[in-house]
Amino acid sequence: MKAGVDVGPTNTDAALLGHADAILSTVKVASVPGDPVASVTAALGRLGAPPLAQVAVGLRGAASAVDDRRGLYKVAVLRIGGHEAQAVRPLFGWPEDLLRAVCAGTAIVDGGGGLDREDWTPLDTVAVARFAAGVAGRAQAVAITGLFSPLDAEQELEAADIVRAELGELPVALSADLGSLGLIERENATVLDAALSGFATDVAARLAAALSPVTAVHVTRGDGTLMSLEHLARHPGLSLGSGPASMLRGAGVLTGLEDAVVADVGARRVRVGALAGGFPEEAPGGARIGGVPVGLRIPELIRVPRPFEPAELAEAVDRMQPGADRLPLVVVGGGERAVPGGLHPAHGTAAGAIGAATSPVGGQYERVVRLPDRSDLPAALEAVIEEARASAVRAGADPRHVRILEAADTPLAYLPGPFVRLRARAAGPPAQL
Amino acid sequence: MRKIGIDQLDDMARGAGILGTGGGGDPYVGKLLAREAIRRHGPVTLYDIAEVPADATVVPISGMGAPTVLLEKLPAGTEELAALRALEAVLGRKATHIVPIEVGGVNSMIPIAAAAQAGLPLVDGDAMGRAFPEAQMVLPTLIGVSNTPMALADDKGNTLVVDAISNHWAERLGRAACVQMGCQVSCADTVLRGDQLADGLVPATLTLAEDLGRAVRLARAAHADPVAAATSVLGGVKLFAGKVVDVERRTTGGFARGKALLAGAGSFELSFQNEHLLARRDGGIVATTPDLICVLDTDTGEPVTTEAMRYGLRVTVIGVPCDPRWTSPAGLELAGPRYFGYDCDYRPLPLA
Repeated sequence: MKAGVDVGPTNTDAALLGHADAILSTVKVASVPGDPVASVTAALGRLGAPPLAQVAVGLRGAASAVDDRRGLYKVAVLRIGGHEAQAVRPLFGWPEDLLRAVCAGTAIVDGGGGLDREDWTPLDTVAVARFAAGVAGRAQAVAITGLFSPLDAEQELEAADIVRAELGELPVALSADLGSLGLIERENATVLDAALSGFATDVAARLAAALSPVTAVHVTRGDGTLMSLEHLARHPGLSLGSGPASMLRGAGVLTGLEDAVVADVGARRVRVGALAGGFPEEAPGGARIGGVPVGLRIPELIRVPRPFEPAELAEAVDRMQPGADRLPLVVVGGGERAVPGGLHPAHGTAAGAIGAATSPVGGQYERVVRLPDRSDLPAALEAVIEEARASAVRAGADPRHVRILEAADTPLAYLPGPFVRLRARAAGPPAQL
Repeated sequence: MRKIGIDQLDDMARGAGILGTGGGGDPYVGKLLAREAIRRHGPVTLYDIAEVPADATVVPISGMGAPTVLLEKLPAGTEELAALRALEAVLGRKATHIVPIEVGGVNSMIPIAAAAQAGLPLVDGDAMGRAFPEAQMVLPTLIGVSNTPMALADDKGNTLVVDAISNHWAERLGRAACVQMGCQVSCADTVLRGDQLADGLVPATLTLAEDLGRAVRLARAAHADPVAAATSVLGGVKLFAGKVVDVERRTTGGFARGKALLAGAGSFELSFQNEHLLARRDGGIVATTPDLICVLDTDTGEPVTTEAMRYGLRVTVIGVPCDPRWTSPAGLELAGPRYFGYDCDYRPLPLA
């Protein structure tokens, strides 16, 4: 048997699932303020479940830690890019209070690359060591962003080794693990990822202590797939958007719909999002968290505070409609009765818990390649698909059952060649212990 | 004459994005560069074309290459000056003014950063009045001004000066060099004398971009219709409002070609390469390059780039008349629908 848990700001839901994901029971308990792990154990305790093979959790703690500037680690921000990366400094445009909560120093060192192999310059290892020594005692985590690292992460890894040699074991976030081309957004995501290390390591360790070793524990990430606790501890930023993503997935599972607009009616507000192909529709043009543009994949949501006028909600639902063909509206969440129209599936009040319990473990990979010969595309795309598959396995997917959700190629504008952006997403059921 | 300070940049960049007609690169990074340059060197003086002396040496500064690369490899701010200095060395005289070659997209902002760094004034105008993908697609080509010597500078410190037999050849050589130089270079080319500006530039387009961006911002703040505000500032005509229901992309001859299908009251098809170039409503052509086909997010009035076109976006398409010199036979030969490989002739926009 397996269970899903959705930790909300007010309530925590849990669902117990049996053979073929049949829903056996659901419960709702009051969340323990500021303690998602206690909320999870309380909900599972109420569920009164026998030993579970698998528990998956939708968390909202990461986003609120950033919003409230609470429990964030001080981050040393290192950019590998040499003089060409000087014009816009790290953390440019961050709100003053978030900057104060997070920044333990910044530096730009020589190194980094380009689209072509010959464009790479060597990493200034001495400058990396000097920077690390300079932030010793102040930095609780390090964020490393290398120019063009989504094409080749080697220098980020090398810099991480130097930093660890200088500062000992501390969380080091690498931008290549988090985002695609677009230095500023990827760097911002990496800094947030490092800042959330304390929160994530704590949650991962306590969840593991409470539930492992009998149970395989996973956490929903912003793209709607799951990751293991080890993966959460390494990449905390990926859990941003976890709660809403679980809810959207659950609405799809409960109705059998792959495409729908979903209203999650909470105690204080309604969140309206959309499902596309069974996964959350992501915010276009990148997400903003804490006022900062970040290159992370999180669900696009419109929030309508309660109480609301029917017209307000109708407008939000209409704005999330993806096409001229009207998609069905699915209404879920503890307050679903406040919205009369739409589909109200059974167990909809625990949609987030059910979404977490039934989601696959995911991974993705993206890179830009030069393909003068168009016939080389299938081989290049196959390599990217393999990386996405490996990424899913690293996040905890069962290697025997990983499948490809999406594989796409988009030519880059204004370049002959052509240069093509290749992207693939993969997912599979959690590997059993 | 007036000054451009940091406070003008947000509006100007927003407007320039709309004038990019789906291409030209997101002005965002350019805006950060211009802001940083103004912070260090002070505001930039902006002159009307009529205020520029007849013997002035006016140098367009721009970036060439892939906006995607620009988002990763932020210019250091030194490349523009390196290109300018390389060009001046060949010309044997100093630039007196800087001007944008292209007001649409990121190339509206890069000359502001360059002018601040060089300590030179900027001219209010540009050589396209929109965004186009190739170096010869500028009004100076129509009056016989050569776009060479064309100086290119990369982030590593390399510079290259191209001398070519035609403006098309300069584009061809410059583009190939750009790929070798890391797919993003700074350019100084198409030098104009002060007395050539009236014929070689679309006037007051930086001011237009600022007015446009401000109108969209104010409309949003007042919960009014930002798309209507933009249409009014541009003297454009609303062609369609609907949702993107299909996007198809393919690559032909090294250039990305795509189509987007919109559904609303009827059907609408956008054909794009780097910019939106052709629009059909219920099968009939309603807008073609060189007129501006601007695709805006219906709710926010923000421009939607061709790379960002995706299923589900709610957009409004507006058509804006191009500078009339573009619809001359020579202008259409440079930038009309047939140059871009479409089997149709230019068709003026429907009346508003």
